[in-house]
Amino acid sequence: MISLSNLTKSFGNFDAVKSISLAVPEGAFLVLVGPSGCGKSTMLRMLAGLEKPSRGTISFGDKTVSDGERGWTIEPAKRDTGLVFQSYALWPHMTVAGNVEWPLTVARMAAFERKARVTEVLSLLGIDALADRYPNEISGGQQQRVAIARMIAPKPKVLLFDEPLSNLDAKLRVEMRTELLRVHRATGATSIYVTHDQVEAMTMASHVAVLKDGEVEQFGAPGDLVAQPRTAFVATFVGTPPANLIPASPHGSKMILAGEPMVATFSLEGPALAMFRPEDLTVYDKPGPRSIAMEFAEASPVAGRMMVTGTRDDLRLTAVVDEAPKFYPGDPVYFSLPEAPAALFSLKGERLA
Amino acid sequence: MANMTPLAERLRYAIPQGLSLKIGVLLAVGALIAGPLLRILSETLAPQTIAAWSDVVLSPLSRNLLWVPLSNTLVLGIGVAGGCVLIGGFLAWLVVMTDVPFRRTIGLLATLPFMIPSFATALAWSSLFRNSRVGGQTGFLEALGLAVPDWLSWGMVPTFIVLTAHYYSLAFTVIAAALATVNSDLVEAAQMTGAKRGRIFAGIILPVALPAIVSGASLSFAGAVSNFAAPALLGLPVRMQTMATRLFGMIEIGQTARGYVIAILLIVVSAFFLWFGNKVISGRQSYATITGKGGRAKRFELGPVRLPLLAIGMTICALTTIVPVVVLIASSLAPSSSALFSNWTLHYWLGTSNPSIAHGQAGVLHNPFIVSATATTVSLGLVVAITGSILGLMVAFTLARYRTGLVSGVINQIAFLPLLVPGIAFGAAYIALFGAPIGPFPALYGTFTLLVIAGTAYLVPFSVQTGRAVIQQVSGDLEESARLTGAGFFRRLSAITMPLASRGLAAGAIIIFVKIMRDLSLVVLLFTPTTPVLSVLAYRYASEGFTQFANAITVVILVISIAATLLANRLQTKSQPWLKN
Repeated sequence: MISLSNLTKSFGNFDAVKSISLAVPEGAFLVLVGPSGCGKSTMLRMLAGLEKPSRGTISFGDKTVSDGERGWTIEPAKRDTGLVFQSYALWPHMTVAGNVEWPLTVARMAAFERKARVTEVLSLLGIDALADRYPNEISGGQQQRVAIARMIAPKPKVLLFDEPLSNLDAKLRVEMRTELLRVHRATGATSIYVTHDQVEAMTMASHVAVLKDGEVEQFGAPGDLVAQPRTAFVATFVGTPPANLIPASPHGSKMILAGEPMVATFSLEGPALAMFRPEDLTVYDKPGPRSIAMEFAEASPVAGRMMVTGTRDDLRLTAVVDEAPKFYPGDPVYFSLPEAPAALFSLKGERLA
Repeated sequence: MANMTPLAERLRYAIPQGLSLKIGVLLAVGALIAGPLLRILSETLAPQTIAAWSDVVLSPLSRNLLWVPLSNTLVLGIGVAGGCVLIGGFLAWLVVMTDVPFRRTIGLLATLPFMIPSFATALAWSSLFRNSRVGGQTGFLEALGLAVPDWLSWGMVPTFIVLTAHYYSLAFTVIAAALATVNSDLVEAAQMTGAKRGRIFAGIILPVALPAIVSGASLSFAGAVSNFAAPALLGLPVRMQTMATRLFGMIEIGQTARGYVIAILLIVVSAFFLWFGNKVISGRQSYATITGKGGRAKRFELGPVRLPLLAIGMTICALTTIVPVVVLIASSLAPSSSALFSNWTLHYWLGTSNPSIAHGQAGVLHNPFIVSATATTVSLGLVVAITGSILGLMVAFTLARYRTGLVSGVINQIAFLPLLVPGIAFGAAYIALFGAPIGPFPALYGTFTLLVIAGTAYLVPFSVQTGRAVIQQVSGDLEESARLTGAGFFRRLSAITMPLASRGLAAGAIIIFVKIMRDLSLVVLLFTPTTPVLSVLAYRYASEGFTQFANAITVVILVISIAATLLANRLQTKSQPWLKN
């Protein structure tokens, strides 16, 4: 089990990570996801032991590995973790096999054992043919595999990944996702994975922590985050496509949604944000009841359905429908809302109902 | 173009595009660079002079003519290369990879010694350490009552120290640039394995920086073996000869054929080590290219040794930049270099002739010879800055426009040839070619024109590089997008190319100016009383014992070149990525 309690990291007056507490069981695949600058990489570096926490503790199992209060942390190498860097950090003067072998040499593994382990991990990642090449002679995807092989060779109990797929093209990224999950299963280690891409989080994680401004917005299983977002930020950050948020305010017997007065089908005490899922919206080329006029922006086929997006000022609505009329950019498009929103959030983003 | 005759029309397609430009440039670099070098070789192969080879290499004289100077040169070269890599590498590591305070200051100071001419450092050394062995004024330390031993005052050791203090900034620049490309992820990845500091240094940092270390070493080596000023000022008085001083001596006493042979051998030694360094590097993998995204700069925490290392770094920088300059200024004001900081007088600057001081030599500002030398030197610098920039731009343009082909290849090779040739040997080659009339042209020896041509030719590798940078800055998308708007050639030139290129060109021209200002080794052989140059004058004064005048002239050179360098830096807003946080 990995647990963080009140983990805080400050750089000068700036708190990059603000009192975060969470715990995942052994063998979990935890994804830390959030926009850039949310503190996710700093958290990972603290887990790796490369940074000391300012306050709070990190424990692996029942062993405390970092203690911010006492300003004390176990060295990176002694905490049984491996890290894949965003840049891969392959040592350019060593061959692929050399890169994988060096950590084992430092750990004083016997030579014959070392060779066997190198061969084993290289073939686990399907790169045994590249053993004698140098990092600058292989492709980005292959470099990625070498970085993973190098990490798992000493059999760490905790695998850390810092945005490892962000330098790969779209197709490779999908392949490497599968590959990483396979490695995770094969090693049985606990994995912690940092990304800004919610799709990666949703597809790979057993546990997801959505971070914003150094704080955890929500922590849970991927399905729960989409089904029960706890904040407006999470609602619009996860899911493919993410949910729509429409400003709503009661006005006498009417309810004003995105500036359009409508029959009130739900009650509100004051202005709020109403969440509607894309699959609950429909689109028309003429105004209708409970419809919001938007300007057509884009449409794309998605798994046999149509995803249609319209914009108006700052508002952006996405609907996933079975069939849609043919629109051209700039055409008016009318998004028709269901009677009840899937959730309501205060203007500050807290969940109301 | 509209009324082109049919013949011109046909010729236009018959001759490969750009051939005339290529041939023109080839002729220019051929005459300026390849000509003198071929001439010096053929001069020694003529029937009446070929004996010079056996005199120099295989005769009772050859021990003194070649072998002793050669071994001195090699010892100096290897020692200086080692010293430069140690000091330059240490400072580069300190500035780029650690959390030492005042990194920027150290980084800036460490690049300065190369801007101070080596004869300035040598003069400063002798103002401090000179003892009474060869007579004349003694240095500051001797006057304090310290007995300065001969080995510290004259010969190999001071020459080695002065050259190291001069060339380490070359090694620093090369190694710092290489270390700056070492992603801190690489080091952290090694930390994750549990490797200790020493192991990370030996296993990761050192191998990654090795190509830069080798090239820093071979550049320092080539610099040290070609240097004339330091061994001439500190070694010649006790008869320590290097190949550069031997070559100078041979030509001074009129044994030109022997001098030329030594010049050729000096070129071979210097070029061999530069080639060898290149070979070692190019056989290896190139490392600098592996960078993904990310790569935050995390600095190595020095902990308790932070301040001691700062002190060491600062001391090295101060001793090689501030101290020599201060000593030179003080000594140009003090009547005796044994009392540097007392009885200051402006006589050596402003005084008129007074028989009781310095054999009646007038102060620098009243001495007609020095005033005319200043004028000659500054005009030489200006003219070469202009001719060099134009030639460099033309060569760079030709090479950029016509990348492939035999002619372009030959131009490229010739243009970079002077890098392999020590300045004094290049000067000798110029005497060989222009010392006598060529066909209808009169002998150029002793004319300003010869100095201009030689200076321009010697700096071609540098000016081509500047030209290349300028062209890269401008050409391509920027120029093409202007062309697509329909703007004509001159419109593009005035609206796009010139505004973008002017700063780079100006900065390059200023640096050429500075290089000429402070050069001694190229002009020392071309110098005649009709074309006095400041650096040679300073050298002459120093070797005749007029230390104050030598130092005052050197201060003038320093002031002009430092002001110009600062101006160039400003224009370039020089990027030093390794200083960024």
